[in-house]
Amino acid sequence: MHFKEAIGIALDTLRAHKLRSFLTLLGVIISVCTLVAVIALVQGVNLYVATKIGRLGLNTFSLNQFSLHDMTDRQRFARAVHRNPPLRMADYDFLRRNATLPIAIAASVANNSGTLKAQGQEMDDLSVRGVTPSDLVMESFHVAQGRFISHFDEQHRTQVAFIGPDVVKHIFPGVNPLGRHILVNGSQFRVIGVASKQGNVFGRSLDQFVMMPISTFRKLNGKQASINISFKAGGSAMVQPAMDQVRMLMRARRHLAYTAKANFGLIGSTAVMDLWHSITGAIAAVMVGVSVVFLVVGGIVIMNIMLAAVTERTYEVGIRKAIGARRTDILRQFLVESAVLSTTGGVLGILAAWLFTLLAGRLTPIPFSLPWSAVIMALLVSTAVGLFFGIYPAGKAAKLDPIVALHSET
Amino acid sequence: MPSTLTQSAAAHPPEAAASAIIRTEDLWKIYQMGVEQVAALRGVNLQIARNEYVAIMGPSGSGKSTLMNLIGCLDSPSRGQYWLNGQQVSAMPDDDLAYIRNREIGFVFQTFNLLPRATALHNVELPLIYAGIGTEERAQRALEALRRVDLEPRKNHRPNELSGGQRQRVAIARALVTRPSLILADEPTGNLDSTTSKEIMILFDRLWEEGNTIVLVTHEHDIAEYAHRVIHIRDGQVADDKPTARARPRA
Ligand SMILES: Nc1ncnc2c1ncn2[C@@H]1O[C@H](COP(=O)(O)OP(=O)(O)OP(=O)(O)O)[C@@H](O)[C@H]1O
Ligand SMILES: [Mg+2]
Repeated sequence: MHFKEAIGIALDTLRAHKLRSFLTLLGVIISVCTLVAVIALVQGVNLYVATKIGRLGLNTFSLNQFSLHDMTDRQRFARAVHRNPPLRMADYDFLRRNATLPIAIAASVANNSGTLKAQGQEMDDLSVRGVTPSDLVMESFHVAQGRFISHFDEQHRTQVAFIGPDVVKHIFPGVNPLGRHILVNGSQFRVIGVASKQGNVFGRSLDQFVMMPISTFRKLNGKQASINISFKAGGSAMVQPAMDQVRMLMRARRHLAYTAKANFGLIGSTAVMDLWHSITGAIAAVMVGVSVVFLVVGGIVIMNIMLAAVTERTYEVGIRKAIGARRTDILRQFLVESAVLSTTGGVLGILAAWLFTLLAGRLTPIPFSLPWSAVIMALLVSTAVGLFFGIYPAGKAAKLDPIVALHSET
Repeated sequence: MPSTLTQSAAAHPPEAAASAIIRTEDLWKIYQMGVEQVAALRGVNLQIARNEYVAIMGPSGSGKSTLMNLIGCLDSPSRGQYWLNGQQVSAMPDDDLAYIRNREIGFVFQTFNLLPRATALHNVELPLIYAGIGTEERAQRALEALRRVDLEPRKNHRPNELSGGQRQRVAIARALVTRPSLILADEPTGNLDSTTSKEIMILFDRLWEEGNTIVLVTHEHDIAEYAHRVIHIRDGQVADDKPTARARPRA
């Protein structure tokens, strides 16, 4: 018998028992839904972390006083404070002269507890940053209004401010902020530009900042604080060579022996992503385990319902055999039926996962999407479960004696 | 099945094989009922030629259905031999028997045995599906078979939307559709009233005239009178075998 007939029979019985089929498939639906949703979540979060939390634009990395590893526990951090000297503007100038592989280098320094006053309004917990003009290419925002900090500003330590869109929303609603004066930690600045909107990360706005020339920042806040130096490579293939070059230059500058530990931190997107992959990987492993358990339970339920279907349709099998169906014909019919059943469960599970990611995408800023690979894998897995758990019931149907089967009705 | 063909030719007298469509030799069927053994057939010897029209009669429990099931390759004998069209089928494996049921035999049952959820057309198509015939030819041949039993206008009706006689005509169309060499019917009118029975018997008559070989089981003498030869079975053996009034001398 052709597959087309077998699939037709399978779909007919599915239609005839909609509710029963749905209940039967609950295990497979839950399993596939978990599997696909987890993959979508992990992928979405990883992408999000890479672009947002790392604040690392495309092909950028940064040189900091401490590495991510230094900050993973308190003792390690205490040792790093001893070992790692702060980064200075002299280091920035040195790297600008000697690092040939990055296409852009920028310095920045930040203070996250700034206050801002203007127009009779006040904002606290503001991120106040001093940056070089080259910082713009490292950022994931662009200039929405006005201009960014210029070389002239940096050389002359002008009191100019480039502000995030949240500042506009709170201080200058409905007012053009360009050219207006604001007080940042008590000093007066003139607004020269506004950044485009970036949104939230875990409830924290990325748009609540004020930027000034790094020279102005150090004039006002002193020169003790370590600076961060960011780099942009010319293409993803150039990130690693550029990082290696910066590492070598810094080790040479600090006269580190060949075996000595680095006393600075180089954070690329790979470092951030490695950290995140270890966390999300653990979550994913647990969820995959859970979905496998559901899948086995779902498979056993399918086996049960197929055994019931064989009993229920013994008479039909008798008719088919009496008019010439071979064992393989009956075997195929029931195998296809259980595969169609479980694949339907897989499709419903994928739909549920899709709705879930759609909802999660609405409620969080994380860009969730269903990866095609996960969808195809889920379909294959659910079909395979139906085939595997359908073998025993289908075998039972195929072995039925035609006369015994025909007499089952009367 | 060429292997069984040569085998049977060697074990069988050639002149009988040429004309006989059915030939049995000492056919036994023994059912095991727990510790008890029931011998439903006790050595049946039978020969039926091509284009014969045979009725099998006998009291209830005498083994008529058992014999029909063996002849129809729905079951295998416990002992003895059975040649169908010169092929020895008594020792064939399951799937080969399925092949013969599909291509060589059209079986009509007392209880019709139609798929309840399928239309008349689909029920008639069913044997062709297992014969591996393509969709278009299948539909066309099934329609043609329904036309032969005068049921084309009912092709989209399900069994529960048809009368008993119409159901049996669908079952006959299904038996005809593969153009088998042998049509077997086990009490085809057993569930029908006398007028409807007559319609069905006229249909069998027509099939016989068209060259089919027909073997049917019946309890009723007026039904048996349609046949040209009546075989009486008693206690699992052939008790009597003689021509009816309709029998014509063969050329
Ligand atoms: N599957 C079976 N298992 C055990 N005994 C059986 C089985 N089928 C038939 N028999 C026995 O074999 C004998 C012949 O049965 P069969 O059905 O061939 O009779 P029949 O001549 O067709 O009777 P009826 O006219 O009532 O249909 C009976 O005694 C019956 O009980
Ligand atoms: Mg009977």
